[in-house]
Amino acid sequence: MTLLLQAVVNGLEMGFLYALVAVGLTIIWGLMEMINFAHGEFLMLGMFGAWWLSVTFGLDPLVSLVPVGLAMYALGVLIYQQLMRRVQRGDPFTQIFATIGLLFLLQNSAVAVFTSDYRYLSNTVLTRLSGSSLRLLGVSLGVPLLIGALLALGLFLALYLLIDRTEFGLALQATAEDREAAMLVGIRPQHMFAVAWGLGAALVAVAGAILSNFFAVFPQVGLSFTVLAYAIVALGGFGSILGTLLAALVVGVVQSVTTVYLPPAFKDAFVFASYILIGLLRPQGLFGRF
Amino acid sequence: MDGSSGRLWARAVLGAGLVLALAYPIPLQLSGYTYFQTVGFLVLLNAMLGVGWNVIGGWAGQFDFGPQVFFAIGAYIAAILFVHLGWSPWLGMLAGVLAAALICALVTYPLTRLRGHYFAIATVAIWMIAQPIGATWEFINGSRGLFIPIQTGQGVLGAVTSLQFVGRTKALGYYYVALGLLALTLFLARLVERGKLGFYFRAIRDDQEGAEGVGIDSRLYKVVARSITAAVFAAGGVLYGFWALAVFPEQALDLNWSTLPIMATVVGGIGRLWGPVLGAMILIPISQVMSTTLGTGPLAGRGIDLIVYGVIIVLIAALRPTGILSLPWGRWARRLVRTS
Repeated sequence: MTLLLQAVVNGLEMGFLYALVAVGLTIIWGLMEMINFAHGEFLMLGMFGAWWLSVTFGLDPLVSLVPVGLAMYALGVLIYQQLMRRVQRGDPFTQIFATIGLLFLLQNSAVAVFTSDYRYLSNTVLTRLSGSSLRLLGVSLGVPLLIGALLALGLFLALYLLIDRTEFGLALQATAEDREAAMLVGIRPQHMFAVAWGLGAALVAVAGAILSNFFAVFPQVGLSFTVLAYAIVALGGFGSILGTLLAALVVGVVQSVTTVYLPPAFKDAFVFASYILIGLLRPQGLFGRF
Repeated sequence: MDGSSGRLWARAVLGAGLVLALAYPIPLQLSGYTYFQTVGFLVLLNAMLGVGWNVIGGWAGQFDFGPQVFFAIGAYIAAILFVHLGWSPWLGMLAGVLAAALICALVTYPLTRLRGHYFAIATVAIWMIAQPIGATWEFINGSRGLFIPIQTGQGVLGAVTSLQFVGRTKALGYYYVALGLLALTLFLARLVERGKLGFYFRAIRDDQEGAEGVGIDSRLYKVVARSITAAVFAAGGVLYGFWALAVFPEQALDLNWSTLPIMATVVGGIGRLWGPVLGAMILIPISQVMSTTLGTGPLAGRGIDLIVYGVIIVLIAALRPTGILSLPWGRWARRLVRTS
């Protein structure tokens, strides 16, 4: 029983980080309905950014997530303006094609610069805290993961307020809802799409910087997170930011509980099995509007 | 210039293409440079898979990212029947195709409750569930997979009926088998495209509510479309398994078995019968030539070939987002006729 409770708590901690990984995709895919297969590559670039800044300048990932986020915002905007804006003129499937090209390009650029070796960060604030934990009702909470989770939650809530409570957020939602109508009231859709790509890239890169404390950094790290992020966004329901948070927590708990009872190979299979099960009961996701 | 001379042009291009496709491996065989026959085999295999994916993706308009599951089902069934029961690979292919279509129908019918992107992620989900099953199921040897022993028949006819080609004629033999299967797939896809099914699929893609309004059962016909795609992938899987002489989960369930055919379809022209063929002829040789030139030498293992490949893909997508077959070929042909 404690084992199960412990697994649930660990899963929740991981879930908050997954939420930050997925929420960038909620904006690009869930809200703006554009497909990005290179989502995990943005995460990988964020991890490498944090690793490189730590190794060369001794910056802690908790600090370097600011420059990493800003740089990736610029890259996201650039990718939209130079590539995706043209691709949008074709079939939606062309977006898959274009972003698979982007995936090859980004992933192998990282291979060319950093090689495929696994790299680990040590001597950061969070890794030094490893081993310390809080005990609560017989369940231990790892402090580093808890700090990461709280940070992710804070960023997540800030984004939620931005999208749901500000004029800018409403303009973004209006563009997603009806592009022509948004233009009539003076919103420039191209601008909104560019900001969405910038935000999406920046958020997942910040998540990558936090995750670099816990996971190995290597060029191929992205794809598994991409697949998971798509499941989380769809599970949460299209365009729902809070749905993404809840779905990420569900995914974290399912993964963590599955590994208690079954070989680790099955942990993602059970995440996707629960997606299908929930999908059959609620075809529009947990909080989806359509 | 009217429609009939346009059709004449299409026939001329088709005939020339067929002659070229048949003659292509012969000079390579004579010079002993059989590597490019293998490239040709991969082009034909991916073109065939692309034509199959076009049914669910291009005509029925459903995002399907999980057809590689049926590629693996076909490959495994034929391999098991061959290794354990000594069935001919061609009978195994028939069994694999039928089984894949049936399993696809059973799995996909409940999933059609989900629409659009939700359906797309459900197809990914089936793939994610299939992977650990393939890696741990002892009946199919888990992650070790199945090895296919060489039992090739005597002479050309024997080799074809045993679907095993060895030695100097290996690449040549598989090239022509793949060409035959592609031709068969194109013929059947054309029947589907021109027939009642094709109209139903496109009606569902263009306006699902409207299609249901005139009595088309959208869930049923989505299942039919995906089962046709699954059947083509299963046949491709059998061919690839016997070519590789092994079937194991990491190989048969590789994501490339869906991304490459999808990319070939998109680059050639989605929803067009010949789109995937053209796309595969462009994409596969580029990637193969890249990996043998830029992927070797002092910079080997640094991914330079894949960087260039990625740049080419990005450029194609940015410059021609509607596919290469959407270019005004007819008008260019007319201008050519007028000036000559």
